[in-house]
Amino acid sequence: MLKLEGVTKRYKGASVNAVDNLDLEVRPGEIFGFLGPNGAGKTTTIRMVVGLLAADRGRIVVNGHDLASDPIAAKRSIGFVPDNPNLYPKLTGLEYLNLIGDVYGVDGPTRKRRLDHYLGMFELTSAVGDLVQSFSRGMKQKLALTGALLHEPPLFILDEPMVGLDPRSAHLFKSIMREHVHQGNTVFFSTHVLEVAEQLCDRVGIINKGQLIACGTMDELRRASGRAGSNLEKLFLELTDAGGDHEE
Amino acid sequence: MRVATMRNRLWTLYLTLLKDHYGLSAAKYYYFKKRQRTWEPLVIVAGLAPAVVMGMVFVWNFTEKLFMAGLTFGQPHLALLNGALMVSLAGLFFGFFSVITAFFFSSDLDMLVPLPLYSWEVLGAKLAVVLTGQYGINLLILTPLWARYGLLAGAGAGYILSAIVVFFALPLLPLSIASVLAVLLMRAVNLSRHKDKLTLVGGLLLVVVMVGFQVWLQSSLGSGDPEVVMEQLLSRADGLIRAVGRVFPPSVWAAQAMAYSHTGVGWLNLLYLVAASGAALFVLYYLGEKVFLQGLLAGMEGTKGSGRARKVSLSAQSRSPLLAVASMESKLFVRDPGFALNGLIGYVLLPAMALLPMFGQSLENNPFELLALDQLPPFVLSGGLALYFMFMTAMSMIPATTFSREGKYLWQIRSLPLSIEQIIAAKVVGSQVVNIIGCLVGAVPVAILMGWSIWEVLLGSFLGTLLASALAGFLALFDLRKPMLDWVNPVKAVKSNLNAVVGLLIGVILGFALGMLMFATIGLELLWLIPIELLAAALALGLAVRFMVRKWAPGLWKRI
Ligand SMILES: Nc1ncnc2c1ncn2[C@@H]1O[C@H](COP(=O)(O)OP(=O)(O)OP(=O)(O)O)[C@@H](O)[C@H]1O
Ligand SMILES: [Mg+2]
Repeated sequence: MLKLEGVTKRYKGASVNAVDNLDLEVRPGEIFGFLGPNGAGKTTTIRMVVGLLAADRGRIVVNGHDLASDPIAAKRSIGFVPDNPNLYPKLTGLEYLNLIGDVYGVDGPTRKRRLDHYLGMFELTSAVGDLVQSFSRGMKQKLALTGALLHEPPLFILDEPMVGLDPRSAHLFKSIMREHVHQGNTVFFSTHVLEVAEQLCDRVGIINKGQLIACGTMDELRRASGRAGSNLEKLFLELTDAGGDHEE
Repeated sequence: MRVATMRNRLWTLYLTLLKDHYGLSAAKYYYFKKRQRTWEPLVIVAGLAPAVVMGMVFVWNFTEKLFMAGLTFGQPHLALLNGALMVSLAGLFFGFFSVITAFFFSSDLDMLVPLPLYSWEVLGAKLAVVLTGQYGINLLILTPLWARYGLLAGAGAGYILSAIVVFFALPLLPLSIASVLAVLLMRAVNLSRHKDKLTLVGGLLLVVVMVGFQVWLQSSLGSGDPEVVMEQLLSRADGLIRAVGRVFPPSVWAAQAMAYSHTGVGWLNLLYLVAASGAALFVLYYLGEKVFLQGLLAGMEGTKGSGRARKVSLSAQSRSPLLAVASMESKLFVRDPGFALNGLIGYVLLPAMALLPMFGQSLENNPFELLALDQLPPFVLSGGLALYFMFMTAMSMIPATTFSREGKYLWQIRSLPLSIEQIIAAKVVGSQVVNIIGCLVGAVPVAILMGWSIWEVLLGSFLGTLLASALAGFLALFDLRKPMLDWVNPVKAVKSNLNAVVGLLIGVILGFALGMLMFATIGLELLWLIPIELLAAALALGLAVRFMVRKWAPGLWKRI
């Protein structure tokens, strides 16, 4: 569903690669968790996948479409929620959703059905007619989620989706992801919340300093580290520990 | 909940950007849905309508004069040419800034780029929004012009038809040129490592070039008196038409297409215009697909999270919190091209105007010429300089938009353990650092060329900084009253901020009042009194502002 081959990115003026020769495959129908310490390159990777950053090298294939040669088809397969949704503050929530609906060509009845579903679920129905600038952070997040789900994207990409959601919304959100995958779609998200990754993800990838240092199901990771009973937190700390500059 | 039926995505995109750009949704929401602040649009309309009508009447009359005059040497379409040229040049100029603002200083690209839209679609929708504004303004200018001309020339249906085509085609070419220039410029700037500085220097250079151009235009047209301008214009009109034709041929095509709409010449010219506009659009489309997006992405990469992120700098020595806030205030202003370009222009502009007469550029309306800057008596010079400092702090808009500019980052400063009095004090200090440097950068060359004494300059700067600080405190308090915090585009926080305009007005009024006082003192031949007066004024003003800040600021600060 999503395939990265040798993807590399170095920011202008930087001395190291933010993402370094990254190979990654997200299979159809799975929930894939993308983990890594701060500054590891998660956001950079995601921004390249959605077309906000140009990769220096490498190939990105989304749902069979090469991002470089057929960006529109690739983007059509994606629903994206950034880490800090930047929505027009001077538009109403509904105006934003209608823009998204029109851009992805979601017809009227379908749009109405899905909006009723998601907005009702997120308890946004009464607020959606207000200006976005009056929304709280979590409300903006939910509005962006609704927008990204409006066209039932085959590949749902989220950067730190749990930040800013209250426990009920976080719970809802997890069930939405399961439901989305259940309908045959794929979810790829970055997170720092390891419990969520452990509960929810079919597979996880751990990135550090721009390189993928581990990837697989929880069992596979445990086996690879040679510790059967280990949880994700221990694994994560062990794997991302940069050569023992702090003591255990 | 009203969910729209599906519409064409380009059309929706255009409408959305339009609504966002002109705040239409917000206006609808407040004025109609919530029925709040309904007096606002009324005041705006009531204020603007007379000015617009007067402007249209002026165009109407001016057209008649130009027409009559043009007839005398067989060039009746002079009026049409003039109109087309004005509109095109304005389109080129404002188009350039609109394009830069729309593409490089706005944050919605983060949202638009991941959508499955071709880059020409994003480009096209954004340009269409800019164009819509231009069409609106052109309608006000060209309607009276073309109507008057049509009546005088006894034009028929062909004229109206070609007028409609010309109307829509006219702004396309200038806007395309402006877009290409803007993209090239931003690419060059983005490639450089000193992006912020380059933007600033480039912007200031642009201002100087513009002023130069204006001076050249004025000096080649003579004085500001319309009658005289007209005569000179006409005496050279034939040459002018040719000159203009060389600079920007499409305006000639537009004029001729309309003037000779009853003959083949007219239609041929119309064809030229349409073909040129079409070609321009095609070039834009091509560039949009090939280089535009890459340019934008490269630009976003540089600005995202690098220089502009609001971090308190980790300097090695610790400073007092007051100084830390003050230095943040001045740094952030100068570093953000969106703020700096709009605020710092004056520091270059006024001295440049003051120096122009020295280079033999006589400008009838240049007040500096009357001032005889090189022969000012002692103390008058210091006083004038002091007023200059005070005026410039208002003109820079730094204090008057200080809270507005914080925008959504206001929480940072709110969460600091500082009282609002301290924050205002720090912001005043920050604004004065920029003001002193800015004023001196302008004033020192003038001082050297005019042979001013260093003591007078120092005295003037000292008095001026006292006055400017007091004024800055007041302006900051005024901004605190109703800061404009909900901007996305930093230019808006400075440029379309009513607080900045009011601040400027206050600066002018205060400067005028103190100037009158100085004038009276000069009349009494008590020149030595001037610095004492200004010092007293600064102290009185400062104390008054201090009192006001103590009284009102805490309440206002809590309320935001
Ligand atoms: N706009 C930028 N310009 C220059 N360097 C950048 C930029 N954005 C990110 N970086 C650098 O790239 C590296 C990876 O950053 P990235 O944002 O991808 O990390 P992340 O894994 O998303 O971290 P976090 O968990 O904090 O969100 C970091 O070293 C960061 O400093
Ligand atoms: Mg990140």
